[in-house]
Amino acid sequence: MDFSEIILSAIDSLRINKLRSTLTALGIIIGVAAIILLISIGTGLQNYITGEFEKLGTNSIFILPGKVRVGPQGGPPQTVNKLSFKIADRIEREKGTFINLVLPQIEKNITAEYRSKSKITLLIGTKSDYFGISDIKAKTGRVFSQKDDQTSKKVAVIGQTLASDLFENQNPIDQKIIVSEKSFTVIGVMEEQGNAGGIDIDDQVIIPLNSARILTGAEQVNAILVRTTSTETIPQAKAQVEKILLRTLSKDDFTILTQEQLLSSILQILSVLTLALGGIAAISLIVGGVGISNIMLVSVTERTREIGLRKAVGATSQDILSQFLAEAVILSVVGGLIGITVGYLGSLAISNFVKTAIPLWGVLLGIGFSSAVGVVFGVAPAIRAARLEPIVALRHE
Amino acid sequence: MKTLLSAKNLIKVYGEEPNLTYALNDVSIDIKNAEFVAIIGPSGSGKSTLMHILGCLDKPDKGKYYFEDKEITQFTDNELAKIRNTKIGFVFQAFNLLPRTSALKNVELPLIYTDLSKAEAEKRSTAVLNELGLRDKLSSTPAKLSGGQQQRVAIARALVNNPQVIFADEPTGNLDSKASQEIINIFKDLNRRGRTIVMITHEKDIAKNAKRIITIKDGKIVSDKKQTTSR
Repeated sequence: MDFSEIILSAIDSLRINKLRSTLTALGIIIGVAAIILLISIGTGLQNYITGEFEKLGTNSIFILPGKVRVGPQGGPPQTVNKLSFKIADRIEREKGTFINLVLPQIEKNITAEYRSKSKITLLIGTKSDYFGISDIKAKTGRVFSQKDDQTSKKVAVIGQTLASDLFENQNPIDQKIIVSEKSFTVIGVMEEQGNAGGIDIDDQVIIPLNSARILTGAEQVNAILVRTTSTETIPQAKAQVEKILLRTLSKDDFTILTQEQLLSSILQILSVLTLALGGIAAISLIVGGVGISNIMLVSVTERTREIGLRKAVGATSQDILSQFLAEAVILSVVGGLIGITVGYLGSLAISNFVKTAIPLWGVLLGIGFSSAVGVVFGVAPAIRAARLEPIVALRHE
Repeated sequence: MKTLLSAKNLIKVYGEEPNLTYALNDVSIDIKNAEFVAIIGPSGSGKSTLMHILGCLDKPDKGKYYFEDKEITQFTDNELAKIRNTKIGFVFQAFNLLPRTSALKNVELPLIYTDLSKAEAEKRSTAVLNELGLRDKLSSTPAKLSGGQQQRVAIARALVNNPQVIFADEPTGNLDSKASQEIINIFKDLNRRGRTIVMITHEKDIAKNAKRIITIKDGKIVSDKKQTTSR
């Protein structure tokens, strides 16, 4: 009995019990579809974040206050913020040949008001270069200029969400909003940025750094973004920044992150997440496998006479073993293939809401895992079938 | 004629001490090529056990069994499967056809365990079914066939490997008298053309169609008679 005959004869047997075969395969279909769907969501999220980071360019260094550990053991910085304008100025003065741009940034939750409406939103104080680096354009009006910053102009560029919350259908340009009890003129509304991990980036107000400094009265900055001359000069620039910072600060007062580090840490977390999601889905596949085992055992009992007959007409124990194993594996592989299709269609269906992408390894994992399930859970019933004595099997009622 | 089967002092015991049952108690039998033998006896006489051993489905506890001068009692399970596949055909009382499977596929069953190509297997199965008058039933499933037709499919399955001998275990047990006679006639016809037939039955009327009747009782052969005239 050669391989193709084993397969054909197994397919015949499965076709004879269509309903039962379909129900058994359903367990595998659901399991594999769930794996594919969850992996596609995880991978889609990774691709999205990578894309967003690439928009920022790869020649950036971030200086953050306190000791920030990114990665699975990360947590919020707990020390007092010792990053100040003074330090930013010092880096600016000594920026040397590797650093292009130093961009201190203030972030604060504030209340923005317009007439009777008010809303808690995120205030960002930064220099005009921020718009170019972050690829933010004004949809209406304009973004502020270097001159606006130098003269501490009380102007604001607001996000879409904030604009519609405060102004509804009214044109916000040249209107005055109250930010922390000071009046600012809206000069521009940003293009829609979208949603990043549940945070609405369109719900914010950006004002010139110097204006923010006066408004908050703070000497601390929340982050300093340093742009290097190129990707290659990042190590030198990082060393230089570190040297300047260590003059007045201790090692635990700041964290220097390169874009690459940040991205790889986030991706690391996301890949762990993706695997965890896939692992949860894999449990349902194992449940599907138990279903196969169960049905195959029932099938062996039900077909005892058939097994006896097959042996009587010349089937060896190995023939019977291969036949029942083939039935289990075909069920799970076909179930796996349908599951991949269902998972793919599912990920297309939700791609309007969540970014999805199906990596090749996900598909291979789905096929591999489902056939492994077929073998593992098909072996016990197949062995039971193969061991049946022909005369005992023939006598079975 | 050459001796096809030769069993010497077969003993088969069921149960455990002290409740031993001798299904076969020192049975010796020789069957020659082209014989038509009926083994007759009441239920529990050991005739089915004897057929299982002669048909290489089971092994005796003691004694020796030779098939075409080869000592079967020394064979491994796989070698026995090979003998059953190439030298022996079985016909059962309950037909034992695969349900929801066409007559043609049922007949092809023994051939999937050979090296024969799928096309050749189909050709041979069709030919045997045609010969047994089932030309227009090739794609019928057992449920759509009468008892006599089902048994003819089973005989076709037994014949498809062109075996040396056909063992039939109560082949008419589930059939009415008309269908029974049909089946018996097929066996007689096959025998006339040189096929060895060993038939188990408990009905004297059926047995008398054979050329030789062996009566077995309590695990022993009590008579072994040649029929002078076979109808």
